[in-house]
Amino acid sequence: MTDQQVGSTETTTTDPAVDASAARLEVRDLTIEYSSGGYTVRPIDKFQLDASGGELVLLLGASGCGKTTLLSVLAGILTPTAGSVRVGATQVIGLSGAALTEYRRKRVGIVFQAFNLLPSLTASENVQIPLRGTGVHARVARERALALLDRVGLAERVEHRPGDLSGGQQQRVAIARALAHDPPVILADEPTAHLDYLQVDSVIRLLRSLADGGRLVVVATHDDRLVPLADRLVNLTPRRETESRPPETSDLAAGQVLFEQGDAGELVYVVNSGTIDLVRTREDGTEELLVTVAPNGYFGELAPMFGLQRAATARAGSAAQVTGYTMRDFRAHHSGSVGDLLRGAVDATEGDV
Amino acid sequence: MWLISLRDLEWRRRRFVIAVVATGLVFGITLLLSGMSSGFSNEVDRTVASFGADGWVVPKTASGPFTTSAAFPSSVANDVAQISGVHEASPMVLTRVTVPGSGGTPTDLVVFGTVIHGVGPRATTGRDPRRSGEIVTDTKLGRDVGQTVTIGGKRFTVVGTSDGRTVFAGEPTAVIPIQDARAISFADQPLATAVVTHGAPQGAPAGYRVLTTTQAAADLRRPLKSATGTISFLNVLLWIIAAGIIGSIVYLTVIERTRDFAVLKATGIASGALFLSLAIEAVVIALAAAIVATVIAVGLHSALPMRVEISTTSYGALAIIAVVVGILASLVGLRRAIGVDPALAFG
Repeated sequence: MTDQQVGSTETTTTDPAVDASAARLEVRDLTIEYSSGGYTVRPIDKFQLDASGGELVLLLGASGCGKTTLLSVLAGILTPTAGSVRVGATQVIGLSGAALTEYRRKRVGIVFQAFNLLPSLTASENVQIPLRGTGVHARVARERALALLDRVGLAERVEHRPGDLSGGQQQRVAIARALAHDPPVILADEPTAHLDYLQVDSVIRLLRSLADGGRLVVVATHDDRLVPLADRLVNLTPRRETESRPPETSDLAAGQVLFEQGDAGELVYVVNSGTIDLVRTREDGTEELLVTVAPNGYFGELAPMFGLQRAATARAGSAAQVTGYTMRDFRAHHSGSVGDLLRGAVDATEGDV
Repeated sequence: MWLISLRDLEWRRRRFVIAVVATGLVFGITLLLSGMSSGFSNEVDRTVASFGADGWVVPKTASGPFTTSAAFPSSVANDVAQISGVHEASPMVLTRVTVPGSGGTPTDLVVFGTVIHGVGPRATTGRDPRRSGEIVTDTKLGRDVGQTVTIGGKRFTVVGTSDGRTVFAGEPTAVIPIQDARAISFADQPLATAVVTHGAPQGAPAGYRVLTTTQAAADLRRPLKSATGTISFLNVLLWIIAAGIIGSIVYLTVIERTRDFAVLKATGIASGALFLSLAIEAVVIALAAAIVATVIAVGLHSALPMRVEISTTSYGALAIIAVVVGILASLVGLRRAIGVDPALAFG
């Protein structure tokens, strides 16, 4: 995972209503595990992030790398395995009951990938719901909704239902809804995923303007078009080693671990001597032996090839020596095609680590 | 939450209409059944009250003045008249006969033989019998003043009518002079089946007992106890069916709106508000169904062969029960709605 500052925050106008300190985000040692197919998956491992009001932060990465999962934690919807999240003065992890509900209402606004507007309600009513659900008077809620819809450029469409709006318009309604309680932090999950290039423009500009207004806007996306507008890029996909570097030879005692399941994977290993057991930890903590790699066999090719995390733990079955190569070097020495590589992985019975 | 509930009902209006009609039919049947049950009870009260009696004297071995055929000498009425508290005492003969009804179908008729100008029911139109061969019949029999009725081979001329004086779930009653009743039932023997009094007797002749009007009514109501009990049971079943219909609709709605609930929770809407939203939908369906039921009941009650008497209280009770049914039905979907993981909003 990489956290990259893309130049200074170009805050042009700061919304006086947004308290910059309330928009401060601190994520420390965040680890998220969940069960998948009987195995424990850890998409986020000891994640760190600092961001402030006025910033547009992009969470980048391939599908399944944990972008949405991370947003869920920031939104107070998912409880992580470990770590802390602080938004302003609020320690998010550990909130429950009314305090958690209050956090979701007032501190964060969420923009969902599929818009998630209520189809039976008009645009205005969709924006009013978060307000009316918290006891705001109907007239006040309507005035606020109309102002927000005007702000997102939909003043003429307030009485239209979602089915009568384009994807871009629906997403702008969703953004207006997220702003209903004027939260200091906006979380957006793939906000451009369902939009064509004409619709994307307005949504991107809108998100940028929210950040310029003093809010912290965190966007999970794999849409590169957003990158130029971001103040901070966070790549959740493990960095792929593309350069050549000297091979790393390791001597392992029997039982010694070379890498753990869930680690970032940079090198492909060739067994020089001894054996390497590839084991996967099940949800209940027990281990399943996937394959034992003998001398001249290789393992760990998919993680560096596709930027994935290690899907199994590599442990010496006996005293062993292995040599690790970057993917580029490994392919230079490997006589087969990429297809042969993958077939080799499949033949190794899920030894694709 | 009114907004979400009403808009959702509008959005799913076809299902809403189906639910309202189905539940309305069930509610309508419960109203009609309740009306039948009330009719059974009210006819007893009307018929017993029509005697204007304060006391009913019957043999100790008799179950009551309306459900026994035990006869005793009419002279007992003279003894009763001497008892403290009694202003007037008249013997009465109760007998059940069959008369030709409309279309030749036999019609059961409960006949009260009473003393002319004595204690007994009075005609509501026309006049009371003054001599042998005259009769006052209930309108349920379908005879008008001037028409005749043949009982036990004797022709009676209708001189008056009454309305709503039926017994045993709709059997019409008739009043004839006691001597005619004795001729039909006891071969002119001076017998009676009960003595009715003005003024409450402070005691009873040996071998007899005194029943109050309430006790006499209970005697007349007793044969219908199993019928009214069955109706009450059916009513409870129908309420449950109505709750089931509404509950099913609400549950289906919750399943379809899982994503909506997840979004609402993710945006900070409390579980209590979600319940309120569901409860409002269920109650609106139930109340709309109650209106449909009222229309059905009003339209059908007069078409039924039995007397159906739906009181204003019943309509009010239906509205209250509809609200309760709606709230209970919404509980079916509540658990699922509250259990929705807000993370589903992220898809």
